[in-house]
Amino acid sequence: MPFVSNRREFIRDLGLSSASLPFILNLPSLGFANQTRRKQRLVIMFSPNGVIPDNFWPKEEGETFTLKEILRPLEPFQKQMLVLHGLCDKVRGDGDNHMRGMGCLLTGIELFPGNIQGGSHTPAGWASGLSIDQEIKNFLQKDPATRTRFGSLEFGVMVPDRADTWTRMCYAGPNKPIAPIDDPYQMFAKLYGKTKDRALLASVLDEVTEDLKKVSATVSAEDRRLLEEHTTFVRDMERDLKSTATTIEHAVPTLDPGVKRENDRMPQITKMQIDLLVNSFVSDFARVATLQITNSVGQPKMRWLGINEGHHELSHEPDSNAKAVEKLTKINTWYCEQFAYLAKRLAETPEPGGAGSLLDNTLLVWTNELGKGNSHTLDNIPFVLVGGGLDFKMGRSLKFRRLPHNRLLLSLAHGFGHRIDRFGNPDFCTQGPLNLS
Amino acid sequence: MTPHSRYPLVASSVIVLLGTVTFAAEPDGAQLYKTKCASCHGPQGEGTKKYMARLEGDHSVAKLADIIQKTMPESAPGTLDDKESKAIAEYIYQAFYSRIARERNRPARIELARLTVRQYRNTIADVVGSFRAPTRIGNERGLKAEYFKGRRMRPQERVEQRIDPNIGFQFGTNAPIPDKLDPAEFCIRWTGALLVEHTGEYEFTLRTEHAARLWLNDMRKPLIDAWVKSGNDTEYRETIYLVAGRAYALQVEYTKAKQGVDDSNKNKAKPKPVASSMTLLWKLPHRSREIVPTRNLAPTSASEVYVCGVPFPADDKSYGWERGTTVSKEWDEATTEAAIDAANYIVANIDELTGIRRGGRRPNSGLGNPSQINLDGNKDEPVAKDRAAKFQAFALSFAERAYRHPLTAEQKAAIERQFTPTRDDETNLKRALLLVLKSPHFLYREVGASAESYEVAARLSFGLWDSIPDAELLSAAARGQLASPEQIARQAERMLADPRARVKLRDFLLSWLKLDEGHDLAKDTKKFPGFTEEIISDLRTSIELFLHDVVWSESSDYRQLLLSDELLLNGRLAKFYGVDLPAEADFTRVKVDAGKRAGVLTHPYLMTTFAHAGESSPIHRGVFLARGVLGLALRPPPEAVAPLAPDLHPDLTTRERVNLQTRPAQCMTCHGVINPLGFTLEQFDAVGRFRDQEKGKPIDATGTYQTRSGKVVQVNGARELAKFLASSDEAHAAFVEQMFHALVQQPVRAYGATTQAELQRKFTDSGYNMRKLAVEILTTAAPRSRQANAGR
Repeated sequence: MPFVSNRREFIRDLGLSSASLPFILNLPSLGFANQTRRKQRLVIMFSPNGVIPDNFWPKEEGETFTLKEILRPLEPFQKQMLVLHGLCDKVRGDGDNHMRGMGCLLTGIELFPGNIQGGSHTPAGWASGLSIDQEIKNFLQKDPATRTRFGSLEFGVMVPDRADTWTRMCYAGPNKPIAPIDDPYQMFAKLYGKTKDRALLASVLDEVTEDLKKVSATVSAEDRRLLEEHTTFVRDMERDLKSTATTIEHAVPTLDPGVKRENDRMPQITKMQIDLLVNSFVSDFARVATLQITNSVGQPKMRWLGINEGHHELSHEPDSNAKAVEKLTKINTWYCEQFAYLAKRLAETPEPGGAGSLLDNTLLVWTNELGKGNSHTLDNIPFVLVGGGLDFKMGRSLKFRRLPHNRLLLSLAHGFGHRIDRFGNPDFCTQGPLNLS
Repeated sequence: MTPHSRYPLVASSVIVLLGTVTFAAEPDGAQLYKTKCASCHGPQGEGTKKYMARLEGDHSVAKLADIIQKTMPESAPGTLDDKESKAIAEYIYQAFYSRIARERNRPARIELARLTVRQYRNTIADVVGSFRAPTRIGNERGLKAEYFKGRRMRPQERVEQRIDPNIGFQFGTNAPIPDKLDPAEFCIRWTGALLVEHTGEYEFTLRTEHAARLWLNDMRKPLIDAWVKSGNDTEYRETIYLVAGRAYALQVEYTKAKQGVDDSNKNKAKPKPVASSMTLLWKLPHRSREIVPTRNLAPTSASEVYVCGVPFPADDKSYGWERGTTVSKEWDEATTEAAIDAANYIVANIDELTGIRRGGRRPNSGLGNPSQINLDGNKDEPVAKDRAAKFQAFALSFAERAYRHPLTAEQKAAIERQFTPTRDDETNLKRALLLVLKSPHFLYREVGASAESYEVAARLSFGLWDSIPDAELLSAAARGQLASPEQIARQAERMLADPRARVKLRDFLLSWLKLDEGHDLAKDTKKFPGFTEEIISDLRTSIELFLHDVVWSESSDYRQLLLSDELLLNGRLAKFYGVDLPAEADFTRVKVDAGKRAGVLTHPYLMTTFAHAGESSPIHRGVFLARGVLGLALRPPPEAVAPLAPDLHPDLTTRERVNLQTRPAQCMTCHGVINPLGFTLEQFDAVGRFRDQEKGKPIDATGTYQTRSGKVVQVNGARELAKFLASSDEAHAAFVEQMFHALVQQPVRAYGATTQAELQRKFTDSGYNMRKLAVEILTTAAPRSRQANAGR
């Protein structure tokens, strides 16, 4: 741990929000010695095409509120939950609302002019700034105490194989969209491929050594020296690999084989991705993750719910179409179930080497590029938060008066002790982060 | 080691050579040994009947001198004085006593060698490639171009198909085909192959105000994806590692149209025309960025190449050629990384490589763009029933090709052992592949028993291609048709047509010219304004094209390398060297400087390489001529000395300054040879321009050379030098020896005392035909095994 000169710096370096300040100061047992920093984490889950507001937002404000149909899967977590109504994506400029809804959701800044034409407005390109997950990842990676192997992981589910403003939510910088990995096998290879490969290699090195021995016997004494030298290197490697082999076996999860990336497998893929996400946290591969389910204008057909129309197509139906409203409610409830599954998995998993569960140290955010599908509004963007990662005061339904969502993005950074005073378009940051504690 | 590799050619740190110090008054150790010691110890310290023990050990010179002084000669110890003892000690130490001397005196032998790095990269590419359709490149150059109306590349909207020489278009506000395309909305697709002649990191740039993307080699994923136009960026850059002597599939798409929702019906007003351009550029290692030239583009398809880009430690090149005769931990780890990388690549592509599933890899031109091809979801496609069997069969063929011979029963069993039904097919396959790629049979040349004919095939292919035998060679080996010299020569001749052979001969010539090491060629910008990075890059291209032209000309005449009075210049070079050519001219042969040029010897690239930042360097040029072209063994400089600063001697010419500095007798041992050779090129300045004066004085380009037979040759200027070298026995011998080493990578002496002379005779008889020399070298070396050599 780096040398810290005073208490405030210590707290800042711990990466704790002001909310936890009294907590720390009142706990004398939390001395400087033997203090390992708590692992804070953030997950942002995306689902597209807006929600059905009447079936989504709790009526009440405050600590007592009733979950509407869509959010009901989160009932077990109601005490660890914040529902934030009244946050608006106020970014304007080029691009239609789907495009800005997606491209400005986590960046809070305008899209560049470009060649991608939406259903209305002027054409646009990529976002002109990085996204908050990457901002926080960069902050954590700068410090050896919070640095992890990947820093952040970008998961996807059924994201079309097409790079454009509708399919990219995360940005490493202006014009630098990050493609989510929506193939669990590819993500598995990224997380565990090297480890598995080394283990496999270890299993054939015996034969290699044997082979070298046999070959050595057939060459002259002068030439044998070269092969003998080679053999010692192979033996060294074999020894190194064997000493780590047992730890490897424990850390690597198993995946169901042969799951095809197709519409009807979407529930299975989502579960696999969530399981991998939780596993990557157990191994501390990253502290920040995003889970982008489909894309803005996403068109999954949720046949497993008995819905044969594509999601985006349905989302355009007027409020008077009761059947469509019912289906869209079901679709959003399904997304909420996935979010709840993620929360459950994290809640069931103890924090490795620490107190409580992973969920106690993780903040989950579920969001959407639109407030409502058929109006394409960027007002009242859904933001549902679960978990104790950033020490927000949970168990509340809050209603804001049309505040820019940049302020929530700021709160997320501040929750990690990253006290920036602006993020994205500075005009939307003048009031600072939302007070969520 | 040349002085240049030891000392960078930068003005502030340039070094000249000093000879070893010898004083006439000093006793001669060799002479003393002969008269006082040899009768007992033998002329080479090998011992005699009188005194059997060999004179060898680890004493220092001082210790030896002390021993000699006190104990020798046995009949009269103490009769030698200090200086005499020391002289004898120094002599025997250098000649045969020390460890280094013993190593030097060891009889040459064909050593066991692993694949060199170059061979490794080629081999792995070719083993994988052998499971794909071979790429055949015709003589046509350029790219196939398709021009489309509208925003999608639909076949029915294609208005023109043609061959474009390269991608470097300034359309302005017009349409490329004005009568057929709307200037506001059109797209173009170029397809073909990229011909790569150098191994290394390539940087590609797409330059356009609109949207474009580039696929290279891997047709599933664009290398550069700028299909979304966003903001003001107009340059998109990516790097990729490519291996020389191969063709890589290439596709570029360009669109001026908008994407996403088609709102053309809503906007009735015609948009204001905006300018557009589209350029594909590349930057080779150590070159400047340029439009990918027509000569590197072919309008034909190419199979994907597996490229191993894993970094390896450099091979030992201390003898002047790359040798795989050492191993290190870093090398072993690199082979592991590379094995894992290759195994993963193969497993990921296994259905295509085994033919279980047709590779949807290359976007079929005209049938939509690559992103629309469904490449997803190979995970639970109907599994071929015989998948496991196919994997095993693949692993066996893979091993056979990687080992370069049919498998022994034992090798076959080892592969089959990796396949068990308790593991999934991919894991089984991967184990087998890792086993093969870590096996000594793959990593080393000629280990374990295999039929001699296959070893001959491998010696041929590594000799000419630095890679494994192709199907035709293997088939010849199987039919026992690599037995006679004629059969081997016929194969070698056939193999020369392959681009990999061209790379190998080119690299040999560059190493012969000592141009294979990275030199900093930047010059003093005040003295040589306009000598830019681009000029240097063009000069490199010019000399390589010249070498190529001569080697692959009808006569392939070595002498033409020295005697040609032409230069290959493009517009940019022509301007700098004062030749009249159109600014945009591609490389053309031009006769320059009234016939005063002499092939590579005066090529501006070579002249620039062997020069200081501000002045020519007769010493560096002389060392190059002595060591490289004449094959003299000059001792490395005993001491580093900075050249005299020209500013301190403003009146002296370069020649006069060099003479002044190297005048002492101890310098002249070597500089007496070096300087008079280097002076003959003084008519070419530090950037290779012809001059007849320096500092107002006429250039003195006279020089001399004393041949090893003692004949003194007088030479005046580059042309006379070239004529002398073209007919010099010594130069021929050096060329033959160096080509042998470059191709075979074993010492020529290991192939018999007369082999080099024999090859040289054949070289002379062939009219100095370099290609025939390569064939002769392989015909001589390919039948010779290491084992046979060991028994000699």
